[in-house]
Amino acid sequence: MTTSAPSSTHNLIELLVSRVVEDSGTDTRIVVLTRPDTESDTLTIWVGASEGEAIRRVLDTNVTPRPMSHDLVKSFGEHFGIKTERVVLTDVKSSTYYATVYLSSKGVERMIDARPSDAIALALRTQAPIYVTPDVWKRRSGQNLDAWLNKLESKNIGTQEV
Amino acid sequence: MITQMHVKGLMFDPYNNAYIVILRDEHQTDMLPIWVGKPEAGAISLALEDVAPPRPMTHDFMKSYLDAYNAKVISVVISDLNENTYFAKIHLMHEDSEYTVDSRPSDAIALAIRSQAPIFANESVIRKQGSDELERWLENLKPEDFGKLDS
Repeated sequence: MTTSAPSSTHNLIELLVSRVVEDSGTDTRIVVLTRPDTESDTLTIWVGASEGEAIRRVLDTNVTPRPMSHDLVKSFGEHFGIKTERVVLTDVKSSTYYATVYLSSKGVERMIDARPSDAIALALRTQAPIYVTPDVWKRRSGQNLDAWLNKLESKNIGTQEV
Repeated sequence: MITQMHVKGLMFDPYNNAYIVILRDEHQTDMLPIWVGKPEAGAISLALEDVAPPRPMTHDFMKSYLDAYNAKVISVVISDLNENTYFAKIHLMHEDSEYTVDSRPSDAIALAIRSQAPIFANESVIRKQGSDELERWLENLKPEDFGKLDS
């Protein structure tokens, strides 16, 4: 955690969570993020199954009967008046992404380090924008994954909602 | 009335393909088993074994979130049992005010261990769990079914 003021979003690229794809046979999920301006360009992040489900649950607008872990973080924010300003994918090393969550409360701004899965799961629940730095966008892995993703998705049709 | 409980271990329940967090009071007379899913069990296990994962896990993130604004977990209470589902409350201090936030027991316990906060259970929850059904179930468990954490 650092206390420096969050930098502006100048130069950052906004991303939208497009979908969460099941990598069948493995314990992982693939979070697909797209640029609103060019939907054909994607950034894919591999996350654990439970982390992936935490994200998919919001996208499906399925109301879970019980608050899950990220709903609890959202609940803390509501109690204490903490706003999620934005989430930024700040680094990628050996295909591992790093994220920073920018928070504010009564004018006091804080940054916390997080895994992208936690950052995205919170951002979606708190309607906070998700950004990537131009550098990370340039160095994103799997730029040619689209064909493979499509194959994976067609294979999984009908199994996602189970 | 509330009783302080300690996490004595985690065990696998092969019948339900789930994990059980075993809470016991300090006199070892009361026991409260709570069924949780695999990721929730993992979150509790990592904290119990004091393993620092290479990356902050969800409850570490939760702790950072609270730390960022000096919100402190005072205690958690396993407060209610309704139709086989447990409910918990997390008590926090933030800017000299006390807050109570509803939670699943697994999140509450995972956060309590990371915050060195005590875990309590309502007597009504413990009493309800002292039912015949549970005792029969526990009688059928072999000692080796209990996790290695119960040291």
